[in-house]
Amino acid sequence: MHIFSITQWYHFAFMVISVALLGFGAAGSFIALFKNRLIANAPWLIPFSMLISGLLQCSAIFLSQLPFARFDSYLIFADYSQFINLIITYLIFFLPFFFGALSIGLSFIIYIDQIGKLYFSNLTGSGLGGIAALILYSIFLPEEISSLISLLPIISALILFPKNYKRIFTVIFTLSIAVSVFFFINPSALKKSEFKSISKTLNLIDAKVVFIKNSPYGLIEVVSSPVLRYSQGLSLAYQKEVPQSKAIFLNGDWFGAIVKANNGKNEFLHYTTTALPYAMKEKESVLILNAGSGIETAQAISYNANRITAVEQNSIIISLMKNEFAEDSDSLYHHKNLTIRNIDSRTFLQADTNKYDLITLPYTNSFGGGVGLYALQEQYLLTVDSFEDMFDHLNSEGVICVSSWIDYPFRNPLKVLSTIVEVLHEKNITEFKNHIAAVKSWGTITFVVKISPLNSEEIMNIRSFCDLLMFDPVILPDLSESERIKYNSMQDEKFFEYIDEILSGHRSRFYEEYDFNIKPADDDQPYFSQFLKWKSLSYLKDVYGIRNAPFLEIGYLLVMITFIQIVIIAFVLIVLPLFKTDLKGNGKLKTLIYFGAIGLGYMFVEIIFIQRFILYFGNIIYAAAAVISSMLICSGVGSYLSSKIKGSKRNLIFICGLILAVLILYKFLLTPVLQSTIGFEFFLKVVIAFFLIAVPSFLMGMPFPIGLKIISAGNKSLVAWAWGINGCSSVVSSILVVVVAVELGFAVVILIAALSYLTAALTNVSLYHSVSNNNLE
Amino acid sequence: MHILTLILILCLSAFLQEDPYVRDRERMVRTQIEMRGIKDQVTLSSMKKVQRHLFVPKDLRDNAYDDRPLPIGYGQTISQPFIVAYMTEIIRPDKNSKMLEIGTGSGYQAAVLAEIISDVYTIEIITELSNSSAKRLKELGYKNVYVKNADGYYGWKEHAPFDAIIVTAASEYIPPPLIEQLKDGGRMIIPVGSPFQTQMLMLIEKKDGKVTTKSLMPVMFVPFKRGK
Repeated sequence: MHIFSITQWYHFAFMVISVALLGFGAAGSFIALFKNRLIANAPWLIPFSMLISGLLQCSAIFLSQLPFARFDSYLIFADYSQFINLIITYLIFFLPFFFGALSIGLSFIIYIDQIGKLYFSNLTGSGLGGIAALILYSIFLPEEISSLISLLPIISALILFPKNYKRIFTVIFTLSIAVSVFFFINPSALKKSEFKSISKTLNLIDAKVVFIKNSPYGLIEVVSSPVLRYSQGLSLAYQKEVPQSKAIFLNGDWFGAIVKANNGKNEFLHYTTTALPYAMKEKESVLILNAGSGIETAQAISYNANRITAVEQNSIIISLMKNEFAEDSDSLYHHKNLTIRNIDSRTFLQADTNKYDLITLPYTNSFGGGVGLYALQEQYLLTVDSFEDMFDHLNSEGVICVSSWIDYPFRNPLKVLSTIVEVLHEKNITEFKNHIAAVKSWGTITFVVKISPLNSEEIMNIRSFCDLLMFDPVILPDLSESERIKYNSMQDEKFFEYIDEILSGHRSRFYEEYDFNIKPADDDQPYFSQFLKWKSLSYLKDVYGIRNAPFLEIGYLLVMITFIQIVIIAFVLIVLPLFKTDLKGNGKLKTLIYFGAIGLGYMFVEIIFIQRFILYFGNIIYAAAAVISSMLICSGVGSYLSSKIKGSKRNLIFICGLILAVLILYKFLLTPVLQSTIGFEFFLKVVIAFFLIAVPSFLMGMPFPIGLKIISAGNKSLVAWAWGINGCSSVVSSILVVVVAVELGFAVVILIAALSYLTAALTNVSLYHSVSNNNLE
Repeated sequence: MHILTLILILCLSAFLQEDPYVRDRERMVRTQIEMRGIKDQVTLSSMKKVQRHLFVPKDLRDNAYDDRPLPIGYGQTISQPFIVAYMTEIIRPDKNSKMLEIGTGSGYQAAVLAEIISDVYTIEIITELSNSSAKRLKELGYKNVYVKNADGYYGWKEHAPFDAIIVTAASEYIPPPLIEQLKDGGRMIIPVGSPFQTQMLMLIEKKDGKVTTKSLMPVMFVPFKRGK
């Protein structure tokens, strides 16, 4: 996942998850089809498969970088032969999982009487792996990590290898270790897409990477070049030199520029629309959310703000700005007026009690408007709930400032405005125009919103600011149409109509009718950058041509394409082969429903927990690691204890019913509990989180091993079938959950998870009957 | 016999001179450019003349006249034919104009301009592209194109002011030196956005020392036209 995020884009993480789970599912089918032969050879096949898995794992990066496999996601749209390379890449990453799963699946079947313990080890190992990954990411480069962890399957093969093959195995084992060590010492360099920001920047004169560090947040690189300058949306009135700056990249994507504080005399920072709030009135206290490399902080310093609080969750970036690149920024992050908080901005807002004159957010979209790359990223800072939190932190005359590039078709600025309007509406403010000011340059727009109405002095200052810097006011009390295009006109002036529609009383109708989703995001569906409406696809096709539609909203489309591909491949590789097996009776359908339902339910709960705990801990990395690891370990314990529970009909229904009850309880109580304890000490929050995760996870670890035990009593062939179906369900659910969350929200995700366990509970009865009947036959 | 020889020579010379992409080029001008509203005859004639396939990588020559940009290496692209024509038309070139281009790339836009105007000054920041485009333009006989490998931010002060400036590489800001080097009454066109993403073409005009902008049209692979 990490490697694909660096060389391509993070959407391919979905591909890797799917490919991994597909490997597991396909291995289950393979076992079901060739069970007898595989079991007969199991003593050497189990360690041998594990060994192959390890070898493929350490060589996967090397193989995927070879010319016949290497693909570029952007070139896929220009050169269809890239699809073949993409499929080869799929295969390269599929095989290690397939062989690893073959070994695990065979162990499950052969040692079915100890399934609880085995499943416990499997889940606990996976859980610890999540924690270990955080440590490894902090020490090694991504290309080194895969060879390092390939040692684990190789060593496990050593433990399991039968004694009568010892001599041959010693040779193979030594060679395998040598290969693994070789790739660790000489890792294949990761070749990034030439269309990634860092690749383009490195094409500049004398450009070079001056700093590189891997971290759980991703790979951080700093690039310097004498021709690298930063000044987003600079006014045409600016006549001086734009200073050089270094640039920070996260996983090869633009993160921010390191700009010199220049003792607060950075004049060019006064020549952008983001300077609007300072032009309105002097600001004493400023809160900068998602501060990054400090552009907005440098701006606040240049306007002599006395009390500046900068919030940034990426500790590595803060450390870089304070240490390695302190000189390049004129010790910006050591400024006497500045307090830096290393926490997520939303989490900070929920715990902080201070009031501010100004709260600023970074640009909502990337330069040029983006192409929907962040459509599936939860952006809790840009929800209505978040803006409400911000309002609660404003002084009586305080303002919130948010900027965006004017993209086309118009999406980002409209969604920013719709969010602001919705919050004002929540605050019972109806005369929106008296509380919002918006100013545009040739490419950017900045919105400022106040709880109290804009006063005449502020309005006058905004007009002067616009005249001085050749900007145009877009929203302001008593604004004439000609003022809106005085310096920067637009060929498509419908932009102003849309702005007025949102400010009008019938904005809901406008949201419905507009070609893109510009309805405000909320905490239940925090996907600010998801603009695609499925019903508008045909419109996009007509206007841009179907080949070009992806360049507008590539993110969500990539996921949908992956979902369709995965459903087809999963069906072909997992479900179809299983119908070839020689099973009799109606056990197949019941098994399919039962193991499919618990696979789906588990995946949905996992995702919902990650989403909820991102806000709670204020850090996506730690939230994901904590949730995945805690869930797997607790499920492992549940699985272990399930071996002591009699596999009876009553017990199964009781366990599934308990899960159902807990999930329904969580639907109503989880968010309030998290909200009321978010301000607690970190350690206490960890305890609360662990308890909240542990209860359902412990229970959810039981249905799989108990189900396997029951069906193995009836018909052993069903064990591999069940393992395959569970894998298939997990594959499909891993992407389906994203689609459900985007379209319907998290509340529905948890409801579907609960319904899955209800289905499993109901099927339990039939499963028990059918298996018993089969047994009787 | 002589007549037969003459016919043979004529046929042979026609065959030797035949550009295999002539028809593709004519179709490109007709369907991708004229039909989308480009009317300037000078621009159309130049687009018909310049052999676009010689400006793309060899393995993409068969796609040279497709309605889309193509990668030329180093993360750069040769613009979609329509964009080249549109940018050329909008700066209103005449034979006495002196123009500056920022972002030579493959040299195609410079070649299209060189067919129309007296002097084209073009700057490319990527050394490899600068060298290859200079070589290509020289081989194709363009003597009025001057290529420089430098940072386009500073423009080309020695030859300023320019009647028009075409910036072919997307930028986050409009470099102040370029506005300074634009003649009064001059026009500058610059795409805002990244290759393979939506680009917004901006027209900047300088009149009596006052600078105004107009965001023209969003461009990607095909021009935008409102469907509703």
